[in-house]
Amino acid sequence: MPLLRRLWRPAAHRAPLTVAEALRRAERHRQEGRYAEAGALVMRALELDGDNLHAHLLAAYLHAARRATAPAKAEFGWVLGHDANHARALLGLARVALEEGDDATCDELLCRALRFYPDFPEAAALLDALRADELQTPPAVPPALRVDRLRLPGTGRALIVGGADGGLIAAQPATNDASHVSEALARALRLATAALRRCGLGPLHRAIIEDERDAVFTRTDGNLIVSLALPRATDPPQGLLDVNRLWSATLHELRLAAASPPIAQRATPVSTPAADPTRRVS
Amino acid sequence: MSGPRLKLALEHDNATRGRHVRDIVQELQRLQWVRGAMIVAADGFVIAAELPSTVAVDSLAALTATLGRELETSAARLGRPSFSTAMFSADDGTMFLAGSRIGYLVVLADQQANVQAIRGALADAVGLIEVAWGDVSPA
Repeated sequence: MPLLRRLWRPAAHRAPLTVAEALRRAERHRQEGRYAEAGALVMRALELDGDNLHAHLLAAYLHAARRATAPAKAEFGWVLGHDANHARALLGLARVALEEGDDATCDELLCRALRFYPDFPEAAALLDALRADELQTPPAVPPALRVDRLRLPGTGRALIVGGADGGLIAAQPATNDASHVSEALARALRLATAALRRCGLGPLHRAIIEDERDAVFTRTDGNLIVSLALPRATDPPQGLLDVNRLWSATLHELRLAAASPPIAQRATPVSTPAADPTRRVS
Repeated sequence: MSGPRLKLALEHDNATRGRHVRDIVQELQRLQWVRGAMIVAADGFVIAAELPSTVAVDSLAALTATLGRELETSAARLGRPSFSTAMFSADDGTMFLAGSRIGYLVVLADQQANVQAIRGALADAVGLIEVAWGDVSPA
């Protein structure tokens, strides 16, 4: 039994390691997506040297890689407590802030990182995406969109019409969380737009986001977003046809709304002023 | 309709995972219409990448990892299932994103890429990762 126990001991405890060796191995495991093993080695390193900055930074990365935001934030914070201008820790904490929806803190942290390290592509890319968010100006005139005239396909589960700033223009059905869905979709599309531009692929026009239940087909021109939730099994060309049809119908309705008197009654609850009626079909 | 199957047979020992993750990316990169592929950890670390030289890998990794986390966290906030795959189409190309245990698979493809085919290949790749990495218990 003692032999078996020794054989089954975790790899990190099998051999006496120096801090440097443990961290070197942890980095290698991280590069292979072996976060649990990497984490065990980092823990070992921290047992030997609790104040090792590299170990704390690696721990932060590994927590973030495993989507554990709170401990990642704590570790990035520890690093910054010991080196206030640590560029990687600033970037890490900025990404956590973005995840938490704290754009102002994210902006401030990225600016700090870039002030000390102007040639920091990841920070610059994220800041560009964040600043693109800020460029989304809310529209001056809210059109009263007759969403009841937008006919969902038979299998359609939900329709969201929103502005690129995340403001909800109309929803069908008009659920309580429609404005949150509109905001979340707009945020995701802005990040996708930034990624596509970084690759030189041009502006975003269409998206399909799938989960285990739905496929959300989306059309946008950078100002307006029309998204249609359909069953996941929907054939993509069919889903894209359906959202294209709704896109055209939405533009038509927005034109009518913009041309009608401002007191026109809304057919469905509308939360936020809409985008400047978009007329370009991209 | 399912997409082309990834021709990989993963060994499940830890020592070979690094090689397999590169194999997965290379197999994705070889698919028709595909210009490049990458696996990026949720913290933005590039695990493996086969991308055109014109693409700034680190910047793209930072943005796609942030996008992946945004899709996951917003779904969680709304009480919805997390995304499995996402496709974003622009004038000159299409980007696919799939969530996996070790991070996000990113595929850059031509604009006319067969969505179903690439989606199927991504599902295969995620399945391979789940099989190969699934036996590692969380630390």
